[in-house]
Amino acid sequence: MNNVVTIQNLSKHYGHIRAVDNLSLEIPEKSVFGILGPNGSGKTTTLGMLLDVIIPTSGSYSWFGNQSNKENRQQIGSILETPAFYPYLSGVDNLKIIAEIKSTGYAAIDDVLRLVGLFERRHSSYRTFSLGMKQRLALASALLGDPRVMILDEPTNGLDPRGIAEMRDLIRTIASKGKTIILASHLLDEVQKVCSHFAVLNKGMLLYSGLVNDVSGDEQRIELAAGDVNQLYAMLENYPGKRKLELLENRIIITLPAETPVAHLSGYIYQHGVVPTHLVSLHRSLEKQFLDILNESK
Amino acid sequence: MSRLIKLEWLKIRLNATFWVLVGLHIGIVLLIVLSGKIFLGSLSFNGDSLKDLAGVNNIPIYQFPDIWHNITYVAGFLKFILAIYMIISITNEISYDTLRQNIMNGLSRVDFIISKLFLVFLLSLGSALFVFITGFSLGVTNTPDMVLHDVIKYSGFIPAYFLQLSAYLIFALFIGLLIKRTGLAFGLFFLYSLIIEPVVGLRIQDEVVKGFLPMKSIGNLIHMPFGKYLLREIQDYVTFREIIIVTGYLALFIWLIYLLLKKRDLR
Repeated sequence: MNNVVTIQNLSKHYGHIRAVDNLSLEIPEKSVFGILGPNGSGKTTTLGMLLDVIIPTSGSYSWFGNQSNKENRQQIGSILETPAFYPYLSGVDNLKIIAEIKSTGYAAIDDVLRLVGLFERRHSSYRTFSLGMKQRLALASALLGDPRVMILDEPTNGLDPRGIAEMRDLIRTIASKGKTIILASHLLDEVQKVCSHFAVLNKGMLLYSGLVNDVSGDEQRIELAAGDVNQLYAMLENYPGKRKLELLENRIIITLPAETPVAHLSGYIYQHGVVPTHLVSLHRSLEKQFLDILNESK
Repeated sequence: MSRLIKLEWLKIRLNATFWVLVGLHIGIVLLIVLSGKIFLGSLSFNGDSLKDLAGVNNIPIYQFPDIWHNITYVAGFLKFILAIYMIISITNEISYDTLRQNIMNGLSRVDFIISKLFLVFLLSLGSALFVFITGFSLGVTNTPDMVLHDVIKYSGFIPAYFLQLSAYLIFALFIGLLIKRTGLAFGLFFLYSLIIEPVVGLRIQDEVVKGFLPMKSIGNLIHMPFGKYLLREIQDYVTFREIIIVTGYLALFIWLIYLLLKKRDLR
């Protein structure tokens, strides 16, 4: 698979502060690539350099295999931090400006406004928009001109739960159309839910880069409950192959080797005359993996 | 190229500030020009009032060829209204983060500068055209015996006005880009052009050297015309050297704008 962007030894220093430090990274085409890191870890600075708004101290990057130029950026839809539009213009008129910059026609404007649910308000001036509407207009602008790559920096910042769910659905829909999405976030859950690949940055350095599915490791965790939790707990203490057993109020979490079938566990419980009221296989969370990566780096 | 003009047009088309300031510029120029006789009557030179000496009604301020020199001189006083818009235009692009977003969307930094320079030249051209039409109309209605030679004579002040306005607006653009904040940029722009440079000018005795100061040289393209109605010696032409100096500053400001934007982190 080709890479949409290759980053080589990219650095940005502000005096003593190394906002991005010798970063090398490849982002494969058609991936949903999450860039994770705590606030101030260099995510936005990195994306800013890739979009030519921040001048690198050293290092280089190459989009679509042909360096950095404005024609490349015309094929990238991007949102960096907060939405940026002309407040005195309507949604439609703001998108016309972007269509002009991207050298695409106005025909797609209505479509992208419908896709983000702003079509009804398209003639209202931007300054009357709520934060959620501003974010959605930013997403519409990033979709304009059918870009090959979308760069979304904290796309769910400031959205209410319903807005967050809608944004995730939109990202999945867009990804399913074969676009590459680069998503920077400090929300691990967000990355786990939508991304195929991820990288972890801390203090401007790359700590890890790989597939999201890889992080599940060699263990699985199963959450259980029953009418009598203590009875269940006592019984599971004797379950062969268990690695760890935790009792949390009225729930039990058992950690097993990845290869143990869940059916084996449930069969074992039934054999001992207990009917579980709750049995859920927990994905090993990216959060745990993320914290491990951060700890290892110290 | 036409894409960059269109881009700037989309930005100003529905911008109330732009239309208000352009309207003010046109309105105030018209107001002063049309009340010219009252204005002239209030002028005095070394204690000699024009009103007492010449009989204001007999002064041919609206006649060809004098009208060209007079109207461009008066309009030149009101170029600051358009400079206010240039400062607002560039500092807003910075405070709205739209400059950064324009670059992210696929404009190069040079494209952005060119689109703003188009705005400068189109504003200057528009204002020069307005001054030309007003001057021509006044000349036609007020000149008793029109001769082609008189109509053309002094009309070179129209292109001089265009150059004057362009250089001045590019200076405003440079200050706006340098200072980034609207209010502070206004402050520095007027502090420099109204106080700092005139004070520096007072210390320079040599008129030739003084003519190299940026604001002074821009102003010098069109010298004060009204003294001639008191039979005083005035400069009623534009010298080649004056044009070269202003063109030099114009190029210098564009170069400084380029340097400022080329290496700036847009955050």
